[in-house]
Amino acid sequence: MEEFHNGNEGSFNSDEADNIVKECIEGVVGADDYSQNLVNKWTAGIVERCLTQLVKQGKSYKYIVTCAVMQKTGAGLHTANSCFWDTAMDGSCTVRWENRTMYCVVSVFAVAIA
Amino acid sequence: MDEYQTEEETTFVVDEVSKVIKESVEAAIGGNTYQHSRVNQWTTGVVEQCLSQLSKLGKPFKYIVTCIIMQKNGAGLQTASTCFWDNSTDGSCAVRWENKSMYCIVSVFGLAI
Repeated sequence: MEEFHNGNEGSFNSDEADNIVKECIEGVVGADDYSQNLVNKWTAGIVERCLTQLVKQGKSYKYIVTCAVMQKTGAGLHTANSCFWDTAMDGSCTVRWENRTMYCVVSVFAVAIA
Repeated sequence: MDEYQTEEETTFVVDEVSKVIKESVEAAIGGNTYQHSRVNQWTTGVVEQCLSQLSKLGKPFKYIVTCIIMQKNGAGLQTASTCFWDNSTDGSCAVRWENKSMYCIVSVFGLAI
């Protein structure tokens, strides 16, 4: 009998996470303009929604989701990440999104539970 | 023979990590003015310095270090993070640093192995 093993099962699927994050961002800030009053709610909403969707996948991972929303005024913004983990099992994915008035950068880090 | 491992060795100690971050940021970008051409190497330098100092602590942790550098020109920036982990052993620490021309925000997440 042949046994078919999908190589991806043991590692983080970043394409799937990418889609989840894009949908969450669109869902929370899709059509809005940058507003100082609302931005607090937006960042919290985006990270919570992403985390809920990721956990629903039911995989044995710990997750960290970070989100930065910046108003478009011409300022320079640079971000970097570095991770000390198990490169075979753990992974990350970063999504950059923008509309007319703001940038949104969301990063998901998934760390396998032994 | 008594063998014990103190609680401190297996939980995330925020103060210790905060100190490591502050020192790493000062060392990497301390006296500089925001420059578009150099900011790439600064963010990389900050995260690498933090990570190497943290791994030197020798604790059984996986680490994730993120760094944001933003030019000061009046733009609004808001960041948030949320984590799905083990509350008793894992932790995070964020440090906000600034000088006259830029802001630097570094977050460290530590997950117990």
